[in-house]
Amino acid sequence: MPHISLRWLAVLSVVSGCAAALPAAAATRPHYGGTLRVEVRGAVETADPPQTGPGMADLAAAFAIARWEAGRGAAYAAEENAAGGRPFLDAVEIVMGRALREQSADLDLGKADVVELGWNDARRLAAGRRTWTSAPVRIVTLVFGPRVDDARVREALALAVNRNAIHNVLLQGQGEISGALLPQWLSGYAFLFDMTADVARARTLAAGAPPAARNLTLGVDDATLRPMADRIALNARDAGLAVSVVQGAGADVRLTEVRIPSRDGARALAAVAEALGLPAPARSDTPEALYAAEHALRAGFRVVPLFHLPDVYGVGARVKGGGGISPLGEWRFENLWVEGGRP
Amino acid sequence: MTFRTRLLLIFTIAVVASVALVEWLAIDATRRAFEQMEARRVDALVAQFRKEFARRGADIVRAVDGIAASDAAFAIASAPDPSAYYSEAAPMAAARGLALLELVADDGTIVSSAEWPARFGYKEDWLAKRSDWKAAGAFLRREELPEGMTLALIAVAAVRAGDRKLYVVGGQPLDEGFLSTLALPEGMRALLYRDLQARFAPEQLLGPGPRGPELEGFLSQVKQRRVAATRIIGAETFYAQPLNGYDGSPLGVLLIGSSREELMRLERTQRSYGLIAAVAGILIGMGVSAWATARVTRPVQRLAESAGKVAAGNWDTTVEEGSGDEVGRLARAFNRMTHELVEQRDRLVQAERVAAWRELARRLAHELKNPLFPLQITVENMQRARERSPEQFDEVFREGAHTLLAELANLKQIIGRFSDFAKMPAPQMQPVDFNALVSDTMRLFEAQFAQARVSPKLELDARLKPVNADAELMTRALRNLVVNAIDAMPEGGTLTVRTLVFGGGVRLEVSDTGQGLTPEECARLFTPYYTTKTHGTGLGLAIVQSVVSDHKGRIAVESERGKGATFRLDLG
Repeated sequence: MPHISLRWLAVLSVVSGCAAALPAAAATRPHYGGTLRVEVRGAVETADPPQTGPGMADLAAAFAIARWEAGRGAAYAAEENAAGGRPFLDAVEIVMGRALREQSADLDLGKADVVELGWNDARRLAAGRRTWTSAPVRIVTLVFGPRVDDARVREALALAVNRNAIHNVLLQGQGEISGALLPQWLSGYAFLFDMTADVARARTLAAGAPPAARNLTLGVDDATLRPMADRIALNARDAGLAVSVVQGAGADVRLTEVRIPSRDGARALAAVAEALGLPAPARSDTPEALYAAEHALRAGFRVVPLFHLPDVYGVGARVKGGGGISPLGEWRFENLWVEGGRP
Repeated sequence: MTFRTRLLLIFTIAVVASVALVEWLAIDATRRAFEQMEARRVDALVAQFRKEFARRGADIVRAVDGIAASDAAFAIASAPDPSAYYSEAAPMAAARGLALLELVADDGTIVSSAEWPARFGYKEDWLAKRSDWKAAGAFLRREELPEGMTLALIAVAAVRAGDRKLYVVGGQPLDEGFLSTLALPEGMRALLYRDLQARFAPEQLLGPGPRGPELEGFLSQVKQRRVAATRIIGAETFYAQPLNGYDGSPLGVLLIGSSREELMRLERTQRSYGLIAAVAGILIGMGVSAWATARVTRPVQRLAESAGKVAAGNWDTTVEEGSGDEVGRLARAFNRMTHELVEQRDRLVQAERVAAWRELARRLAHELKNPLFPLQITVENMQRARERSPEQFDEVFREGAHTLLAELANLKQIIGRFSDFAKMPAPQMQPVDFNALVSDTMRLFEAQFAQARVSPKLELDARLKPVNADAELMTRALRNLVVNAIDAMPEGGTLTVRTLVFGGGVRLEVSDTGQGLTPEECARLFTPYYTTKTHGTGLGLAIVQSVVSDHKGRIAVESERGKGATFRLDLG
């Protein structure tokens, strides 16, 4: 059984890279069999990457799609001839479109093995539950549309946002406050970008803008971002801007979340810029060039980075085998096993 | 305006005034009764509002106290970092039925807000200004919501956990829903003005029914003066009660509108009935007053008619004396007066007749005595000549007989003139050209004018058309006037005869430049046998007046002493 020893090596390497892992898991003996039940918020229509996004797309290395119900669920079966060897799990069952609160309840009731955690749940569960946390790989930013052509208004809103209050209360301390597009762990210079609020200056800037320009709509793509958007609107009001939060596209400014797709800074910046609809950054081979490219993207306050957030998953007690995600939040289920084997 | 009309008018005004007074009194009494009833209804509604207010306040205090006493609140109060509880207020508020709930840390920082979750971390500094919030109970306060300011009834409770404290601030907005819970009697409505900003904002007036500038003005006034007030606006009476916060600051105005439709309907009905009664009263009053005034004025009217007859010369007129009241006495006095007038007239006629006979006798004696004296002298001369100078008797007899015949002729002429006056013929009317008549007549006097040094002057109106008259009689009248004028100018002068168109007839004027006449002479001028001259019978002007009178005309004289006289004849 040479592949088993290889598995053990892989497990050890993953455990060393994960943010959290219970010591008890390492003591459990790996074995084949069993189905990992995973719940996600997203409802994916097609099985083809990149629509399946991070997570399900990552399973392709060791699992094959056995069943696909568009937007509702999917089942992946272990690939016997996977390049890294057959995974311990026989299958991974995924329930899609499950609300965070329901996922949390399902985890508590043992109906699910791996669930996504919301900002509130993460801190609550962190005390007594096992979680997987990636590095901060999601950037939450404000992106202004072309209609907001007054730079004073854009800067006023950027200065009005109280990132600390949002980070402490809404995000419950998760992730990092940032004024940069690339997270500190990736670029090393994120702290250089200013991230402090200055309501007085914001008010001065807003007062200089025409009244019509001070009325903005703030669109949120994801309902989970709505509380953050409401808070930003409240901060904006203090600066003299009338911001109303709307759902969906077509707003003057969007509060959106973009995932870092690469560990390479230049590629990550280019991907983020493309995702946010910003001009492609200049080619950057050195950290200085990368900083300059990012600085140029941020000029004019067309984009206002706010936070870098990690992926956080709640993990059931029967899931063994260490961290199931990579630092970039990729699923690494081929090294997991479940207690009880085949249910 | 006749006496009868005036009397009728007075009666009518009296009736209308009486009906109007009664109507006004009735409407005023009704209005007072309604206003008292309305005031009681408003008082009841205000009391109900206060009661509802107190009940709601007690509910809120109970709910807030319940939350403050909960383990969850204690856990939040005792947590070193309460930020994890930023979303706790909403489920707590929902569980207690509160629309507003804020959990506020000891330093006034909002931990969690049910009505505005994004407000975590903001300050509620007003909470630190008072320590005994429990004693304050429920009170009004302006609350800020995402959609704007609102007026809310809130209560505050404090949770203590060791040296930490958590404020629980809960309440309900005062909105349309609150107003809808008030049970209002029919015809009444409650409105609430939320005083959320410095200037008056019409959109903050909640409640059913129409509004208008007048109502808004009233509210604005109450808002400024901060005292309860009442005003009638349109078909409603509005009572406005200012609502204050725990610190006495003005936060709103409760407005209770009571419909006056019922009163107005009653007033309209009363007015209609009053109008009908007034019209009926006026008609009846007019009928009665017409009958009464007829009774009163009929004797007066008869008196007036009789007086008119008396004025027209019918002095024998009498009226029915009727009742013994003032009008009867007046009638009797009138009858006595006319009786006296008739008697006096008869006496006067008798006296004038006697005077006329005396004057006639005097004139006759005077006229006859003048020729008789020569007759007597002539006869005596003839007797003396026969006795003393028979030889001259024939001569004397011849001369005497001539004188006798002449004087007898004179006597005959005198008698003829009197006879002519007595036998004035009736006029034979035919169209007469007065201009020609005047010219012809004046031509006859040319010799006399020359002898008397009188200059005749004719001013004849060429527009004059023939007028029906008796030419001979008119010629006779004109002759008399011309003779009179010549006699009036013994020293000579100018005699002017003038014709003028007068209406459809003619005006004939004869003017002299003699000594003129006194007013007394003018008054007696047309009396028969009256004359201002030393000769003449005094019948000339009497004849003129008789002719003019027979032609249905008028004669008048204008004269001033020393400035001549003008006789004016109007015919046709």
